[in-house]
Amino acid sequence: MPDQPLAGQKVPWRHWTNVSPFSRGRWFWRAFFRSWQGAVGLGIIAVFAVLAVGAPLLTPYHPLHDYDLATTMARPAWMRYFPEYRNSPVTQDVALWQEAEVDGDGWIFGQSIAGGESLTFIRAVHDRGGGEPVRLVLQREVQYDHAPPHTFVFTLPYAFQGDPGVVGWARLELETARGQLFELWTSAPLREDVPLRVQRIDSRDRALAVRLGFNFFDNLASQLLAEPGIYTIRLVLELEGVSEDRSGTFFVGEGRLRIPGDLHGPLGVDHVGSDLWSQWLYGARTSLWVGFVTAFTAVVIGTCIGVISGYQGGWVDELLMRIADVMLSIPVLPVMIVVAATIGKHMGNVIILLALFSWMGTARVVRAATLALREQTFVEAARAAGGTPFYIVWKHILPHTLGLVLASLVLLVPGAIIAEATLSFLGLGDPQMPTWGRMLHNARSFGAFAELAWWWILPPGLSITLLSIALLWVGNTVDDIFNQRLRKAAGERKDTRWLSYGSSS
Amino acid sequence: MRTYFLRRLFVLLGSLFVIVTVNFVLFRLMPGSPVDTVISPDFTPEMKALLMERYGLNEPYYIQYGLYLKNLISLNFGRSFQTRLPVWDELLSRLPNTLLLLGSSFLIMVVTGVALGIFVASRRGSRWDTVLTGSAVFFGAMPGFFIALLLLLVFGYYIDVFPVHGTMSAPPPTGFWPRVYDRLLHLVLPVASIVVSGVGSWMMYTRNHLVTTLAADFIRTAQAKGLSKRRVLYGHALRSSLPPLVTLFFLSLPNIITGAVVIESIFSIQGIGRYLLQATLRQDYPAIEGAFFFIAVAVLLCNLLADFVYRLVDPRIEVR
Repeated sequence: MPDQPLAGQKVPWRHWTNVSPFSRGRWFWRAFFRSWQGAVGLGIIAVFAVLAVGAPLLTPYHPLHDYDLATTMARPAWMRYFPEYRNSPVTQDVALWQEAEVDGDGWIFGQSIAGGESLTFIRAVHDRGGGEPVRLVLQREVQYDHAPPHTFVFTLPYAFQGDPGVVGWARLELETARGQLFELWTSAPLREDVPLRVQRIDSRDRALAVRLGFNFFDNLASQLLAEPGIYTIRLVLELEGVSEDRSGTFFVGEGRLRIPGDLHGPLGVDHVGSDLWSQWLYGARTSLWVGFVTAFTAVVIGTCIGVISGYQGGWVDELLMRIADVMLSIPVLPVMIVVAATIGKHMGNVIILLALFSWMGTARVVRAATLALREQTFVEAARAAGGTPFYIVWKHILPHTLGLVLASLVLLVPGAIIAEATLSFLGLGDPQMPTWGRMLHNARSFGAFAELAWWWILPPGLSITLLSIALLWVGNTVDDIFNQRLRKAAGERKDTRWLSYGSSS
Repeated sequence: MRTYFLRRLFVLLGSLFVIVTVNFVLFRLMPGSPVDTVISPDFTPEMKALLMERYGLNEPYYIQYGLYLKNLISLNFGRSFQTRLPVWDELLSRLPNTLLLLGSSFLIMVVTGVALGIFVASRRGSRWDTVLTGSAVFFGAMPGFFIALLLLLVFGYYIDVFPVHGTMSAPPPTGFWPRVYDRLLHLVLPVASIVVSGVGSWMMYTRNHLVTTLAADFIRTAQAKGLSKRRVLYGHALRSSLPPLVTLFFLSLPNIITGAVVIESIFSIQGIGRYLLQATLRQDYPAIEGAFFFIAVAVLLCNLLADFVYRLVDPRIEVR
């Protein structure tokens, strides 16, 4: 890459407006951080990027597939600090056997993996003879401090392997704070090979309520967890018929007790009980991804067309620029709606369409820059030396337009993010993707407004706004550093530039 | 001059071609034959064959394209699956709602935007300037539909002062003036949404243009002549900023038109935009085609208008 844009002249770096950002890295960053907008904008983008990348670590839930995590439209957990909600049950999710007390003799513990899932198994083997039934008890005490819950669900993954003649049983007991003992579940007799299965014990199971001696219409969860206190949960494993040469093995996965509350997580849950905090995090991921992929594609198309148009000139230039005009005059949103209706709601379609409809600005500025650069002496020298058009463009023109291209890349992102959010908001987004627009669509369709659930409505919308502003700041800063002269050459006015990114759609 | 018109003609015809072709191609890219998607699956194969024959679906694609063009020119968009009425009639019946919404909001937006622009430009660097410019950037970066949602949340639900959907109460009030009042009340939130999302760019545009103009030599001359501040601002500075503002007026119409799709769907206004969206959600293909074509052509006409007005208001502009 050439160090000096104008051959033979020594000029202060500040005036080298059309030099590539990559050959002047340090100066670029120094100039960049001199602008508070650039620095703050980059900081905001970095925060969003960290949250987006770290989403799987920051939330245990899948944004779309995990539902019924709490009462529908549960409020955020921090609302318990307000007097109105002090007693509302907060979602509890207890891993039962991690801190369980183990009671029982002669068992061997180990780890194993089954079903292709990386579940941690506690392996219990009994191989001492005697013929007597032997038992193992896993006991866990759970502190419950809230008002009686509406439901609870136990999930117990287990498997069994025994020699012929060995029979096993598994049983789940709950001892309430008042000291009453309830047997929530007993397995069928386990013989030989029992493959991995996940036992669900749901408090909404009417038969269970009746078996435990409650009325058919009683709410089992609020009856069992009626008062605050310490509840003891026991998993009892029993083996019969073991001897010197016959043994049995239980495989017990991590059991969970989930008590969906009226308060849940940092942002509450939506109408099907899906975690909104997860949706927000994964939405940040989708937004950034869609924004940057779209902008990158558009910029690549725009740069190619701009360079060809500017360097070639003549009827090629005329044709390409008229095509750009045509694309500019077609409204994107209706086209995207029609495509969603006919070809399908797929994120790939959205990205391709948005890119096809947003390369024109880049093409125009790159073309103008190419026109200006083509007349420079160093390009003329390269031509005189016999450089092919491709070589000249690659070596002498493209590097000088990189600053320009970088700025228009960043400035294209907010438009793409907003367009995608709008489409998702209209219910035409990819159903497989968690997005901010979809959060708002659900909020509008499923009663968040009537409930005044501002914690559901504000975060996605304000995030789009904040991210867009940050990107505009960064883009404008980059643009100011590199492109004043080229912008002027392109005949674009700085004060009108942002109009094309705001307001619409 | 001739090249200019040739160019415009090329762009207009090119855009029309793209729009028509998008419509034509997309609906043939869908899985299954057109008969399956357009006609009830209960028909017998013989009946389907007859229909295919009758509607020219067995013809080669270029003849189908010609037929399609002919139908478009005669405004024959077919009948909606949903209502069995001609799509064109349905579009026309919804046009007044859209026009009222867009017209009123655009008028308010332009007037307020220019007024605010003048206000801010004459107080450049003041606290007003900082606050208003800052909010213009903020609301400019906010998606239009989110502004509508915020207004809805605050004025429709928190303080329940404005109706949140439709164009009239049900049942409508009796008497002429109560009806007008009811209609206007229903317009407040949608109009406010469009105004808030667009007024910022108008303000900034006016402001920046005025600020540039106020630094020009002829302004200093006017001031030196001893003209009042008011006279300089309105008589000289604003006047020279008018041509670009008029152009911006037409250039921003397309944005507003497509923005109506969103606003109409949020506030359940039976306009063209909502028609397109509902047709999409119900897979009502003739309606989708018709509404899309209608909106796209409206946008093209606005662009064309902007071009001519641009030349009309500022004859100095050289034709490149």
